[in-house]
Amino acid sequence: MHYEKAMEMRKKITILLLLSGLVLALLPLSANRSFIVKPGKLLSEILNPEVSLTADQVAKLIVNEDSTTRLIDLRSPEDFRKLNIPGSVNIPYNDFISSDLYIYMTDKNVKYIFYSNSDFYSNYAMVFAKGLGYKNSYVMKGGLNEWFNTVMESKFIGQRISARENALYETRTKAARLFTQINSMPDSLKAKFIASNKFSARKLDGGCE
Amino acid sequence: MGPLSSYFLFPEWLELLVAFIIGIGFGFALEQAGFSSCRKLAGMFYGYDTTVIKVFFTAAIVALVGSQFLNYFGLLNLKQVYVNEFYTGAAIIGGVIMGAGFIMGGYCPGTGLCALSIGKIDALVFAVGGLTGAFLFAETYPVIQNLANSDYKGPVKINESLGMSPGLFTLLMIVAAALMFWVAEIAEKRFARPEIKNAL
Repeated sequence: MHYEKAMEMRKKITILLLLSGLVLALLPLSANRSFIVKPGKLLSEILNPEVSLTADQVAKLIVNEDSTTRLIDLRSPEDFRKLNIPGSVNIPYNDFISSDLYIYMTDKNVKYIFYSNSDFYSNYAMVFAKGLGYKNSYVMKGGLNEWFNTVMESKFIGQRISARENALYETRTKAARLFTQINSMPDSLKAKFIASNKFSARKLDGGCE
Repeated sequence: MGPLSSYFLFPEWLELLVAFIIGIGFGFALEQAGFSSCRKLAGMFYGYDTTVIKVFFTAAIVALVGSQFLNYFGLLNLKQVYVNEFYTGAAIIGGVIMGAGFIMGGYCPGTGLCALSIGKIDALVFAVGGLTGAFLFAETYPVIQNLANSDYKGPVKINESLGMSPGLFTLLMIVAAALMFWVAEIAEKRFARPEIKNAL
């Protein structure tokens, strides 16, 4: 008798648990992803100076139309529409950290370079991506502020120019010209250009990889 | 709101006091469930008494459901709850050692202390053995360090590696537990050992 009563109770509790499990399965709970890189290793990886590229290095990549790098702009879509570095794609920071990165960082052989207005968001995004095991994450040091200071406002002061300085100056000028061309497009054309350059469109490109 | 210790900086004595109180509750629950009897624990392996799996799985699914709901209503931030780090090789070897010790000694570490507290002599020997093992581990750590740290996978959760939502995983766990309880009940009838059970 006592045993049967206990059995009844157990059945009721089991049903209650099953029902609450059903409710939980239907709730929109966020599935967090955990870092798979050991903290110590992650720290040494992100402190490695090689993960940050200078604005000049990025300018060179743009001028050479380097296909092994991908610039990711972490600012808001409005800011991106106003100004962006040629060849970059826009993934707002909040979207970036709240979605699965394999959507964006599909190619292991491509260097993904993050930038925002300064270093703040780009560094966070880089640590986030590296922690999840994406070794191919980099930042553009100083962000757009640094880009303006070095590339856009580059002026030659002095009498004589060395070959090295000349090359650097030329790259800067070319990159600045590209930047101005892209960003001075009429709004409608620009919107079309941005839409064509979105990540989802990459799959349609094909080509030899 | 929770976990509280991440919002307030508790002094050390308070942290230890909280641990002490939770420990008393845990030990009390274990003892009440009959886990201080090594014959009951060993029954799990022979099938005549499956209390162990029932108690532990019930605890696990109740905690799963409770923590998920608290998380959903914003009362507990599960992101701040510590998740043990996973080392594949170490987990397999440690699991084998733990299982062998469990079936030979008749206790797992927690229940061993529980049985010690009600004065069982075998549990005293078991605890001494466990402490000796811990001492040897610490002393030989430099030698086995590479093994202990191999195959680091991070603090991953099962639902993450399967790519499913925590809620769906909880539901599957509950279904699995219910099925397991059902099988356990059948096993208890099939491998019944009344002479042991009555003596418990």
